[in-house]
Amino acid sequence: MSSTVAQKRPAVGWLGRSVPQTIEEERPSHLEVVPTRTQRRARPRAAYAIVAVGVLLGIVVAQLLLSISMSQGAYQLSSLQSKQTQLQRSLQAASEDLNRLTSPQNLAANANALGMVSNSNPAYLRLSDGAILGAALPADGSAGTVTGGQGNLVPNSLLAGVPLVTAPKVGIAPKSGTPARSGTPATTGTPATTDAQAGNSAGTGAADKPAPPASVPLDGALPTPVTH
Amino acid sequence: MRRRTAVTAVAVAATVCILGARLVDIQVVRADELQKASVNAKEVEQTLLGARGSIVDSNGTVLADTIYHYTAALSPSDAIGVGAEGRAAMVKAAGKIGAITGQGGAAIVAIIDNALKEDPKSKYALVKKDMDVGMFDKLDELPYGWLTFDKVPARTYPNGAVGGSLLGYLSSAGVAQAGIESSENACLAGENGVETYQRGADGVAIPGSTVVQKKAKDGGTLQLTIDRDLQWFTEQTLAQQVSAVGAKFGFVTVAEAKTGKIKAIAQWPAADPNNLDATDPSYWSLLPFSTPYEPGSTFKALTASMLIDQGKATPTSQVLAPYRFQSGNGADLHDSGFHDPERLTLTGVLMNSSNTGMSILGRSLSDQTRYDYLRKFGIGEDTGIPYPGQSSGILNPVSDWDDQTKYATMFGQGVSTTQVQMVSAYQALANKGVRIPLTLVDGCKQADGTVTDIPKPKSTQVVSANAADTTLGMMESVVTDGELASKLKIPGYRIAAKTGTAQQPDGKGGYLPSYYVSVMGVAPVDDPEYVISVNLGYPTTLTSSAAAAPLFHTIMSQVLKTFRVKPSTTSPADYPPYY
Repeated sequence: MSSTVAQKRPAVGWLGRSVPQTIEEERPSHLEVVPTRTQRRARPRAAYAIVAVGVLLGIVVAQLLLSISMSQGAYQLSSLQSKQTQLQRSLQAASEDLNRLTSPQNLAANANALGMVSNSNPAYLRLSDGAILGAALPADGSAGTVTGGQGNLVPNSLLAGVPLVTAPKVGIAPKSGTPARSGTPATTGTPATTDAQAGNSAGTGAADKPAPPASVPLDGALPTPVTH
Repeated sequence: MRRRTAVTAVAVAATVCILGARLVDIQVVRADELQKASVNAKEVEQTLLGARGSIVDSNGTVLADTIYHYTAALSPSDAIGVGAEGRAAMVKAAGKIGAITGQGGAAIVAIIDNALKEDPKSKYALVKKDMDVGMFDKLDELPYGWLTFDKVPARTYPNGAVGGSLLGYLSSAGVAQAGIESSENACLAGENGVETYQRGADGVAIPGSTVVQKKAKDGGTLQLTIDRDLQWFTEQTLAQQVSAVGAKFGFVTVAEAKTGKIKAIAQWPAADPNNLDATDPSYWSLLPFSTPYEPGSTFKALTASMLIDQGKATPTSQVLAPYRFQSGNGADLHDSGFHDPERLTLTGVLMNSSNTGMSILGRSLSDQTRYDYLRKFGIGEDTGIPYPGQSSGILNPVSDWDDQTKYATMFGQGVSTTQVQMVSAYQALANKGVRIPLTLVDGCKQADGTVTDIPKPKSTQVVSANAADTTLGMMESVVTDGELASKLKIPGYRIAAKTGTAQQPDGKGGYLPSYYVSVMGVAPVDDPEYVISVNLGYPTTLTSSAAAAPLFHTIMSQVLKTFRVKPSTTSPADYPPYY
């Protein structure tokens, strides 16, 4: 198109002057029309095509990669979810054990087995001035055990077969009213004979659950809270 | 050249139109149909379990909790395998399964064989229900694809019978049947949700296809006013005392005087919701709520407070109390033990629990006046506490009172109340005459942390503060000078108490020969904090309120110790009981 324009009309090139006709007649074989800047700008360059196609390819590749990683993520998600379910199950098992062991019947039975007695002389420490109100005397055993010498009367069938933390101390005769000891020995490898508790005072706690493992011995000193 | 442009443009436009039309067709016109078709192909629906909320005590200790149990089932037609080799493998597998569940391999083989006998293509046979997590974990490790599991929510009560009758229980289907579980079900119940997803051939969810159709909602945590350790102590000591005096049953309620919160509500025999069958069904619900009784002499404190409030008597008002009193209009009543006429003051009437003295002093109040006071004390009224199956007792209208009832209601016969109603009445006396209806529930903490359902009981002034304090001062004489003083005294604290030995109706218009013995008390008198009521039903070895007194002493000591109540700093009121 541009060459026909140059022949028919004077070219208005960058010089702004007409090109003399004579030059064209003398060297027809070397005639080349130099495209003007505007004309050059109007024709799309190869670079643009390459960039466009390249970007398109890039988009396609990126999408492919994304969808691969999404599928990968789905498998990872599934495996993590199943791990979470497993951990939740362990959490539930541990929580059940913990709640059972912190029940007052278990604590009282263990306190009795350790030979602990009630202190009938409560004393109070007034923090504002450090004064002690009441008679701070050690427990003399006259008040008896926390269960009044009769053992646990309030039943808890979840404690059937749960072993006590320690064996009863030698020399402390078992009280006549203590619940019937179940015949099954502790199933874990604790060296001392531990007695398992009956589920209720009638001794008919029927548990087909295996006894939970005995507690882990404490390492080091008891943690002491910081009081203000 | 424009022709080429035009042709290209037309071609492109035509392509766009065709594709656009196809797009509209798929996305808009046939969208639902296509979606349904695709969804039915491999969509999986999964229930999202909404857990039932737990019940905790005032310190956050768990009283009832939701756990998951597992049900194992197998597909017999897949388990049996092919031929003798398949059967041998099945027997081996059954042995492994049976060893874990405790049923034994032979039982599992029997399950499979029986199921196949009924239906050779059977795909389902139940192996074991209610397995806990430990057993499930072991079974899950076995590599048998025909063994499947179902997770089923269950309820556990880690403290056994502590508060068992209060908490109630669920049916095997998880529906709340009794107690707090049932009355507070709106707070506790969770809602299951539903989610659907599309599953690939290997079972993994196709990403982006999970749609939560309905979100699961966990139930809220219900916080009670009960203190678990005090509840245990109360049940333990109550059990000891019930067997020591040969009583049929007993119940104790401990409430805060200033707020009306119930800190312990115990009965013996106590039901363990984990093992209900070990207890008689009549003790599966709380007697303090469900079983009304004629309160007996503990009522005298209420009558005395009415007299003081109306200005009809003072602690030193005098009465010559005979053994037997006949009104002349049909009433005929007497004191518990024969005695010569005693020179009692109103204080002495309470100390010695004289029916005749109370009747003579009490008749200065009109029947309607006493009836109105009793209603304000909560006698014959609904307690407003959410516990199912409550009784409101019986307070007959004044028009139904004959002369005997007129006098009997002054000392707690001819009217029946539940223990909770009596504690509520004494709470008014302990709180300067202001009765705050008792509460069991502190609130319901929803899954998002907000606390709802906080009770706001409406308080009423029943008697004046002076009348209430004076009545407590008179009741102190029971502890300082009465015949059970040595059993009731707690050094360092001013205690006010009233004993009661009440006969119960036999259902045929008369009274049973054995008694309900009770002691109700308030401490410390200079700034009352706690109200305790102890009832023992039909004791056999010791049939007076001396049977209940040691238990009251034990429980009151423990309450004062548990809540660190400061010892009394003032001296007892010391109203003279005799003139």
